[in-house]
Amino acid sequence: MIKTFSLSVLIIVITILFSKTTIYSVEPEEFLQNSKQELKARNISKNVRCLVCQNQSIDESAAPLAKDLRILIRKKVKEGHTENEIYKFLTDRYGDFILLKPPLKRITFMLWFLPFVFLAIGIFILSWHHKKSKKKLPHI
Amino acid sequence: MKKQLLIFPSIVFFFILLVFFYLLIIDRDPTELPSVLIEKKAPRFEAESLLDDKKFISTEEFANKTVIVNFFATWCKPCREEHPYIKRLSNTKGIKIIGINYKDNPQRTIKWLKELGNPYSNIAIDSNGQIGIDWGVYGLPETFVVNAEGIIKYRHVGPITKKVYNNFYSKVIANRE
Repeated sequence: MIKTFSLSVLIIVITILFSKTTIYSVEPEEFLQNSKQELKARNISKNVRCLVCQNQSIDESAAPLAKDLRILIRKKVKEGHTENEIYKFLTDRYGDFILLKPPLKRITFMLWFLPFVFLAIGIFILSWHHKKSKKKLPHI
Repeated sequence: MKKQLLIFPSIVFFFILLVFFYLLIIDRDPTELPSVLIEKKAPRFEAESLLDDKKFISTEEFANKTVIVNFFATWCKPCREEHPYIKRLSNTKGIKIIGINYKDNPQRTIKWLKELGNPYSNIAIDSNGQIGIDWGVYGLPETFVVNAEGIIKYRHVGPITKKVYNNFYSKVIANRE
């Protein structure tokens, strides 16, 4: 009984955690006619940080600056700018912080690779510990 | 040997605690972002001027003199709070102050300046926030120090209040010709 209950709670929690939340702030007049362009603008907006709220993307934020940036991105997409050109335009003015995913650079190298280094250290310590405790076991 | 090793995690823990405590007590605003425009040429722009019929052309304004560029609006409460300090800065010799009226109503701004006094030598109208985006502005008020060569030397986010006035003034003086 308890087991099925806890299992269903677990399933609910996992569903909530992994469900794709669809909270958007894009207003009707902002949408582009061309759905391909709209999708491109949408994908860019999802990776651009709202600098007013700082932990939301401009796609989710209702801040006026976020709206301005959404419109600006759509204008640039319409003009035929590439994704990288648009990101460069934004980082030239607001820095890498405006990207929710930091780019791989010399300065962010540690940020990207330190977790793997720690993982390797962890595995090493575990295996070392394992070996040591194995030695201690009395032979039967 | 084993017992000695047990002290290690607590030392690490206290070290982390110390770092957090330090970050808590120092005077800082974690939401404040460094400007990427420092040591770069001030963005060029043309706009309507609030005070006269002539066009505002940035290359004409940023030349031969240290300029303080102040993004402000009448709807922004902290802008009103900092206004006396902007006025005080305008008395500094050898500098001029340029206002950028961000997403505002021109009539209301003129009224606002009549009431509070006008420290600006010229005011550009940024009706859609485009100039603000070019300068990396993300919250009003923001104030920049641009030297006589047109290079941005300093940016302050938030109002210039009594607390920060002296620091800001020293940055202005340091970049004055």
